Amino acid sequence: MATTTASVSISSSDLQVGNQLALNASTTCMKAGLTTGLEKIEMGKNTLTVADGSTSLKLATTAGVDGASKVYLCNNATDETFYIRLDLHDTIVGRLYAGDWLFIPWSQNDTTNELVIQAIGGSCPYEYAIFKEDETVVAGA
Amino acid sequence: MATINATVSIGSDIMSYATNISKTMTMKKAGTTTGLNLTTGLSSKRYTATTQVVLQTYNDVAVTSGGANKVYIRNTGSDKAEFFKVTLADATDAVEEIGRLYGGDWMLMPWEAASADHNIYVQPSTAEVMTLEFMIFFE
Repeated sequence: MATTTASVSISSSDLQVGNQLALNASTTCMKAGLTTGLEKIEMGKNTLTVADGSTSLKLATTAGVDGASKVYLCNNATDETFYIRLDLHDTIVGRLYAGDWLFIPWSQNDTTNELVIQAIGGSCPYEYAIFKEDETVVAGA
Repeated sequence: MATINATVSIGSDIMSYATNISKTMTMKKAGTTTGLNLTTGLSSKRYTATTQVVLQTYNDVAVTSGGANKVYIRNTGSDKAEFFKVTLADATDAVEEIGRLYGGDWMLMPWEAASADHNIYVQPSTAEVMTLEFMIFFE
């Protein structure tokens, strides 16, 4: 089986006076409820323009419903006022400002649960990776 | 201002060649080069029921709506069969499930925190003792 490991380290020496923040966590990304690793990956980079409006980063599919997919997304813009707004279907999750990244689980609890991104302020180059269990493929014409 | 750095490292052998991602961000206030300087501190919560409960409402702390807020959550357990369902908004509203944190899984996401639609809820998958830790960085 494949092994995908995701680690995070959050640190600050001056956020809380007299308290050094050094938070570390690591997980091996498994299929839902199993000890079998995720076996599919999708990665890419692109530039999102303001004119693009709301754009689907990834649609939820029947085969992915209730899975243990993980999503990494990073806004590589350099202008600190440009951000990518991430929506989950019709709900705003948050704003990724220049240089910000996110790592979230994505269970696709139903097929409307798509990931939607939108550039605000200016063009945002971005990169992403989705580690997933399965996905319904589209049949050829 | 404070300097808060967060680094993600992802390694995978799903492909026939190694995939490695490493990225560091310095958490800044929205649209500025000034660092975030507020936090809830690291908190831990223990659950013994499968009821959906609030983890953080948008107005519990003085979070700036639509800011560059960040939320870190981790299921501290090790059982890969047990999970916390993490959702935005109440189940009686138009709930949006973000995902499920299985044993050891963590997440770090931006947080809009502009209305009750952005309240964060969690729901354990079992009535066995489950614990999560979380920390919010905000402006």
